[in-house]
Amino acid sequence: MFEIDYGDDGEVMCSGRLDASQCAKAQSFMDEIADTRTLDFSRLEYISSAGLGILLKTQKRLAESGSALRITNVNNHIYDVFRYSGFNAIFDIKAKE
Amino acid sequence: MLRHFARNYDSLAAIYEFAETILADHEIGEAVRFPVHLAMEELFTNMVKYSPDSDGEIGVDVVVDGGAVTVTLTEDDVDEFDVTRPRDVDTSASLAERTPGGLGIHLLQNIVDKLEYEYQNRRSRVIFTKESGYQHVRD
Repeated sequence: MFEIDYGDDGEVMCSGRLDASQCAKAQSFMDEIADTRTLDFSRLEYISSAGLGILLKTQKRLAESGSALRITNVNNHIYDVFRYSGFNAIFDIKAKE
Repeated sequence: MLRHFARNYDSLAAIYEFAETILADHEIGEAVRFPVHLAMEELFTNMVKYSPDSDGEIGVDVVVDGGAVTVTLTEDDVDEFDVTRPRDVDTSASLAERTPGGLGIHLLQNIVDKLEYEYQNRRSRVIFTKESGYQHVRD
């Protein structure tokens, strides 16, 4: 199960497992983001390459208008996925404290 | 333990639950469970994506021996697709140079300890092993 919604401060709260079966839901939400936004991954347990594809597509679209996604509260396992993918160089990522 | 799953992305939740039950029974920690689930998804979705004409189910076999988890995915009547072949993925590419896709096999090859591919009589079989003692790669 994957859930995505806005938090009280305008950040995007993601939770659960972002796998290939949940991509349509995630992509639909991301397509509505039009400015710089923080994704809070504190409750996101898992992401696969399918989820990375959505983040990349959104980041490329936002970059055209000078905006960007920032990602915060990333757990160790998801951080590893970002590292192996080189996403730590194209996203502003903050690990979970 | 072997189970067969329908060839579509909606099977991912059932595959996760199937493997999670076995891994929990053997007290396999999160540091191994995460990459095992990730490798299983990348392989399963790859099989779904690249053999669209096959309507056969995909077999998933999970075996735990000590701290090592070995997973075998098998599909029949498909073309050869060697997942052990090195992929030309530039993970240092800039955002502008990046295109979505192609990361799944690259991730798979980096997160498992052993990866084998067998192809015979149009049967494709991928076997991977993940052992305990996994270390995060954080800077």
